[in-house]
Amino acid sequence: MNFPLDNPIYRFLYWFVNTPGVGGAGVLLLVAACLGSFAAALRWIARGAQADEPASYAYPTSALHDHQ
Amino acid sequence: MLQIDPQDKTHLIDSLFRTGPRFWVAALALAAIVGWGAAMYARQMLLGLAVTGMNRPNYWGIYIVNFIFLIGVSMAGTVITAALYLTGVNWRRPIARIAEATTVFGLMIAGLQVIVDMGRPERMLSMFIYGRAQSPLLWDVASLTLYLLTSSFALYISLMPDLGILRDNLPEAAPRWRRLLYTVLALGWRGNREQWRRLERVIRVVSILIIPIGVSLHTVTSWILSTTLQPGWHSTILGPYFVVGAIFSGIALLFILVTIVRQVSSVKFYIEPRHYRNLGWLFITMSIIWFYFTYTEHLTMIAGQDTVEFPLLASKLWGQDAPSFWGMVLLMALAAYLLISPLLLPVRWERALFFRPRFALATAASAGLALVMAYAPQTQAVVAGPGLPDLPAALRVTAIALLLAAAISILAWLRRHVVGGAVIASVAVVVGMWLERWNIIIPTVTHPRLIAWAAYTPTLTEWSLTAASAALFGLMLLVFFKLFPAVSLWEVAEGRVIDAAQAAIEIPLPPESGQPKWQRRGIRKRLA
Repeated sequence: MNFPLDNPIYRFLYWFVNTPGVGGAGVLLLVAACLGSFAAALRWIARGAQADEPASYAYPTSALHDHQ
Repeated sequence: MLQIDPQDKTHLIDSLFRTGPRFWVAALALAAIVGWGAAMYARQMLLGLAVTGMNRPNYWGIYIVNFIFLIGVSMAGTVITAALYLTGVNWRRPIARIAEATTVFGLMIAGLQVIVDMGRPERMLSMFIYGRAQSPLLWDVASLTLYLLTSSFALYISLMPDLGILRDNLPEAAPRWRRLLYTVLALGWRGNREQWRRLERVIRVVSILIIPIGVSLHTVTSWILSTTLQPGWHSTILGPYFVVGAIFSGIALLFILVTIVRQVSSVKFYIEPRHYRNLGWLFITMSIIWFYFTYTEHLTMIAGQDTVEFPLLASKLWGQDAPSFWGMVLLMALAAYLLISPLLLPVRWERALFFRPRFALATAASAGLALVMAYAPQTQAVVAGPGLPDLPAALRVTAIALLLAAAISILAWLRRHVVGGAVIASVAVVVGMWLERWNIIIPTVTHPRLIAWAAYTPTLTEWSLTAASAALFGLMLLVFFKLFPAVSLWEVAEGRVIDAAQAAIEIPLPPESGQPKWQRRGIRKRLA
């Protein structure tokens, strides 16, 4: 008989969906990934100040980005 | 040093350092309500959830109603500003900061409602320790956390250039701690070309991401209900219905908060009636969609005639839940009337005596008088006879006719006072949408599928904690806008330049066709 749980993919999905703590760990991983990427983005923006450009502007316009 | 317009400095920066008695009175009043709520929560923790109206079978009450309502109003802020940013809508600029702050603080208070609802709040940790991926509650925790983090990040990155401007343009009398606060939070913002390029790229990516995250949050919240077999909840429409209601109530709250900020601070100059008018179009659209979805949700119940679902519908239409259901319908109808009807009034009618506000007030007062007379014992004592009409009924009909006349005669005032009309409609929508959340949760938990029905009345503890939550939300916004400008400095400056450039463009008229009148009406000349 072709039982779905004979298939390792279904076995993994069953384990993933039903094991206590796995969902919680998934949420924590998601939060960690989110915080990590936000921190990286902030660092990237902050490092933009180190570019060798003497002029600074209080607000951007399309002219600042060469009409891009 | 970043240079800004002196006008912006006066209105948006210097005003942050002028703290009048109004601020302290508002802060103390809100803090007192929060303190009362904290005391009631401590009492609830000591005595248990028995001090609430929650019992078997209504395990959920006003706290979960507040949770869903707050998730809804929070959803709209960042999602709307992100959508307007991506589509390059220029008028979004002065209201964007208020919308983003509403989202962040609204979500925080929404999360607090779940903690307050739990008899043992420390067991929240069990959600992570024993949480299974199949649980809609866990999906909601994931969505809520993700949306809160992304919204906070969106608020912060849009604030970064302003923090740099604040750091460089502080008044002489500014306290040292505030100078330090802006310097640290600005993360060395300089505003050079490369930094602007990077910031705008990040804002664009976040704006794209935040729309599906926002939609997922509210649909996932609806799945907590719709993945059960409880009557009234097991429906596929609940997800989109929640999203529509969320945007609708979110715009309403945004209108109210924008108006409060506009009245109490010096940002009137930036937030104009055109912002209300433009956002009003979206408000009207959401109002129509909301009515359609409400009708659809109840239509399936009526058509199905299910033995479990139908008593729930009966309870809403003429049973114990009828006041909240019809209250919601009336408030929403009032809001729709206030928003749509003024647009339908012909301009030339506005000068007529009938459309003067004094006439509307006098008519409404006469209607009130007629209603009082209709229910007075002396009138009730008059017995209708062959020669005498039924006096109370005649007075009631007169009152309704006068109320209708007042409603029509106020239309000209509503059209002239866009802000006032929008705020009255928004208050009706906010209260109506809270009742809508009540109508989704409470009738179902009091009419469960398998066990005996019950009634639910919130206790003083629950009302106190609801008031304290609203006060905490207000207090957070008050303190935030005391520290940071309510209107984005860099965004309005950019918008002003774009507006000026667009105004300088001369667009030529299209070539005249010279089409005769009869041809414009679609009549073709018969060829000989």
